Order: sequence, then C-alpha cells, then structure tokens
Amino acid sequence: MNGFELNTSIANLRDLRASNLTDYDAVYLGDIYCRIYESNFLEQLGDLREGLHILRDMGKKAYVATYAAPRNDFLPKVRKMLEASASAGAEAVEVHNLGILRIVHEEFPQLPVHVGGFANIYTAAGAEVLRGFGAVRFTPNYELSLDEINEITATSSAPLELLLHGKMPLGVSDYCFLLDYEEKWGVKCPDLCQKELFLKQGDWAMKTLGKGILSGKDVCMLEHLPRLLAEGHRHFRIEALSESPEYRREVAAVYRGALAKALAGEHDADEGSWETLRRHARIGLCNGFYFGRSGMDYQGLRPEALGSLPTISRAES
Amino acid sequence: MAVPVLLAPGGSLEAVRAALGAGADAVYVGLEGWSRGGARRELGWDELVAAQREVASSGRSLRVALNTIPRPEERARLFERVPALLDLGIRDVIVNDVGILAALRQRFERLRLTASIGCGAQTVADVAFFRDLGAYAVVLPGTVSPAEMREIRTVRGISVEIMVHMVEEFVLLGKCWMPSYVHLKESPMRQNGSVKRGGVGACFRICQQPWELFAAGRRVDTRLFPSRQISRIADVGAYADAGVDVLKLQGRSLPAGVLAPLVRRYRDAIDGRTIPDAFGPPPATLPAAWAVVGR
Repeated sequence: MNGFELNTSIANLRDLRASNLTDYDAVYLGDIYCRIYESNFLEQLGDLREGLHILRDMGKKAYVATYAAPRNDFLPKVRKMLEASASAGAEAVEVHNLGILRIVHEEFPQLPVHVGGFANIYTAAGAEVLRGFGAVRFTPNYELSLDEINEITATSSAPLELLLHGKMPLGVSDYCFLLDYEEKWGVKCPDLCQKELFLKQGDWAMKTLGKGILSGKDVCMLEHLPRLLAEGHRHFRIEALSESPEYRREVAAVYRGALAKALAGEHDADEGSWETLRRHARIGLCNGFYFGRSGMDYQGLRPEALGSLPTISRAES
Repeated sequence: MAVPVLLAPGGSLEAVRAALGAGADAVYVGLEGWSRGGARRELGWDELVAAQREVASSGRSLRVALNTIPRPEERARLFERVPALLDLGIRDVIVNDVGILAALRQRFERLRLTASIGCGAQTVADVAFFRDLGAYAVVLPGTVSPAEMREIRTVRGISVEIMVHMVEEFVLLGKCWMPSYVHLKESPMRQNGSVKRGGVGACFRICQQPWELFAAGRRVDTRLFPSRQISRIADVGAYADAGVDVLKLQGRSLPAGVLAPLVRRYRDAIDGRTIPDAFGPPPATLPAAWAVVGR
C-alpha cells in the first residue's frame, strides 16, 4: 500500500473481468442488497472463489461483502459463503449486520472484519463494542460529519474507512419495488436493476437498485483530500457497485493521482480530473454529510458542483 | 407456555392512563430530550414521575425510551438521568445504539436494557448478538413471521419482543437516512440527522411523497415507495406459541382516544387465546383509523 488504500466494490464475475483495477489496492466482492442480483458473488460461490483468485493474481487485496439486511433464511448461505471466502484466502469480510458479525467472530475467527456503513457506528463507544467481536476496521455511519468522525478516531485506535467518491448508500429494504415493473417493461429480474434508474422530486434525486437506495449525486471529496489525509485517514472507498467499468477505472485514476499529489503536499487537482468526475456524475456532485450539512450539498471551491450541473429534470423531462 | 406481555405506547400522560385502562401490561414512554421521534411524543420529568406512580400502583411496569444516539459530550448528561430513573423504580430502558447499550450495562447493573427496533435485529443471529452484549430484551419488527420467531426463540437468555402493530415503511427502520440526505434540519437542542439517530432526527417522510421514476434519463412513472400498516392481531396466538415474550404496539403519536380501543383489541386477542371460550378467535383485521401515522 502506497501510504493509503483505495478500494471499490464489484457485484459479480462479469463486472470484475470487465474492470481495469490498476488504480485500486483492494476490492470488496458481492452485492449487499439483494440475493438475486445478477450472478451475485455472495450466492455464486464458484464465481466467488474465482474472483478471489483473480484479485490475488492481480496483487490486490481481496475482501468479501455480506448482506446488509439478512433474514433467518439467508444465514445458511452466508455461512457457506464465509467458508468459501476463508478457504479461498479472502483477506477480510465486510459486515453490515450484527448477527453476521457474531457468526464471523464465533465460526470464522480467521477472517478479519471490516464493519460497513449499515452497521450504524455513530460513536467510538459503538466501535469499541464491535472490536470485541473481532472488527478491525470501520466505515462510520454515512450521516457523520468529519468532526464527528474525528471524535471516533480520537478515542478509538481502529482505522476508519471513508467513502471518497460515488453514490452514498441511503437505505436498504426487504422488498424490491422494481418487481412491479416486470410486466409493464417486459424486463425480468435480475435484469431490472441493471437499468439506470433514478427517483426524482424536482432537484432531489436518488438512485434505486430495487432494494437499495443510493444518493443521486456522487459524493466527491477530491478537493478535500489534504484534510482527510491530515486527519489521519488512509482507507478510502470509491463506491462503484452500480457503475460501469469505465466509471470504476477513470474515477480511480483521478483519485490515485490526487492522493499521491496530496501526500506530496500538492493540493490542486487538475481540470482534467474535474472534467472526468463531472462527466461520470449523472446528477451532480455532493459531499455527503462530511461537513454537517444535508447529504446532497456541496461545500468547496468548485461552485459548479453545487446544483449547477444539469439535472435529469432540467435536461430531459 | 407463558402469556405474552402487552406493551403499549404512551406519548402523553393521558395516553399512559388510556393504555392502562385498556389492559396494557406495560407502557413505554419517551423521556423528554432523549427519545427518538421528537418532543411532541415525550414526557417531561414531572409527567414521567406521575406516569410511574400510576403504572406502579396498578401493578404494571413503565419502560423508558432513551433511544437517541448522543454525542460523546452529551453522553454524560444522559448517564446522569439514570440514577433518578432507578430511584423512581424504573429499570427498563430502551436504547438504540450498541455503544450506549454496552456503556449503560457497565455502569448500571440494575437496568434492564432493551435493544430497540431501530437496532435492526431481524434474525436468530442478531438476537444472539444482543444477548451476548448484555441486552435484557430485543425488539423485532412485525415483518418477522411466527415461523421465523420460533427459530429465533431457540436463543435463550434474552427476552424477545415483536412490534405487532406498526407501519412498515419501504426502507428498514434504522437503515434509512434519505430525509437527512435531502434536508438536514438544524437544531441547537437535539441531534441532527435521521430518525435512527434520534432527537430532531426528522423523518419528514419523503418516501411517502410522489417520486418520478426515470429509466435511462426518461420519466417512466410517478410513484410512492410502498409502505403498509402491519396489524398482526390474527397472529397473536402463533407468536405466543413461538415463545414471544412481549407483544409491542407502535404509536407514541396516537391520542388517548384512539390508543385505548387499539390496546383493548389486542388485550382481547391475547386473553381470547388464553381463555378461548370466553372471547372466541381474535379478529383478523383492525379499523383503518388505527393506522399509526409516524412512530
């Protein structure tokens, strides 16, 4: 690791094979929202083993995600998936659910645990509790500001992983409302959620994956990298689960270059980098909750990121 | 087989009295400033004292929701309230965060701590986790079936509650920060953010407003996120058979006049199961007026 870890998420073997991962250090395999997501690594255990081998052959750290909101009937498959992950050399498992955390801790203690954003770590006290269950890294709840995140790092020595760029998870459901459209659109599950789908109310926008809801805007921390690094953060996610291989590759290239520059004391990203991020952001850019404001706001020196980009409603409706 | 406890909401002193009058075995209330959902449904300290007096004198129990997630500097103020609760005779406290649960467990051995529905427990493994953490009880949503509950009840050493009457919104409780993504409500008094976080944690129900659905840049529909009122009164017996300890009703927003008949209906269903000849089978449905608006 060159002073930091840049990672991303990939749901299935097809996307893994199609993605150029040169600028990533690590990858989380699997879709956390839905068991029947197309060829989900978490259900296709042969694919999962192959994916883990591919990543290892690339020299990448290979992590495996787990479901954000399981029910009892998920758990036998989760155990098999964890067994396959451990035997195929996964270097960590990301856990969003406290029951799965307990299963990993009790039954697969060889697997280090990264706690994901749906596990609701709001405080250092919460992180410390989960450390007792084997957690070694934490993504704090997305609602926390950087100041609040720093309160955690001030009292907990476990490293945090932060969303650096991409669509921020906003919610997860037991149900997929896209199934309502199978007949109307003539598109069956699991192809439905492969479409690019946004929900909009005026300028508000969210991306839907059926069971998962994401921010419509892409969280963008490009111009805030010096602060993140100065505050000691070194583990960063580009959330690209529902994005194209081009998005995954080009956004990573921007951030790897910018992180290297920021570590060398250079603070300004070049205009080409901004152009790349603007081109891939379907709705616009935001900062999530990092500055204590509404998640869709943008704070920084790039005014064009704050709502001035054409939104779908303005451009197409 | 034990008869489940009927746990009713009390969003005001009047509602507490109504719940008791209608046959609740226990009532839960929010302590002003420290409960999810906001001030309108909380009791001030004097009201809490009065409620506890009335509940205790009728031989039933009061449970107090302290289910915000306070910041570090606020936690000490929260902990300062606990000895006074214990002095009043209140041992049952509902919390919403694993850190707070563990900290309270460590500091106040006499407390019986419940992991609230906002903690997101849905599985047998989740319940085992909260048991291991030292929770006295855990609340599961009414979406969990009696069959699932039977498996969950194989976990011993923890009381299991189910929210048999609740609104099921599209996004799971404790896993939604859509409202604060759209608009973060500022308040000097209370936590900003989602309902999970508590306090001002405003849910202004953006999921229940019409959204335009765009596919590949083209508007294809206008729709709401699906949500529904869950009233599992017909399953009271099945949950009892599965070994559920507490049947909980959502609705600290319900006025006393609406709450009382709702509680009475569940009371009758529970007693109808234990004394079937007296009441016959419980009704399968409830009037629409008993839909809980908000939490």
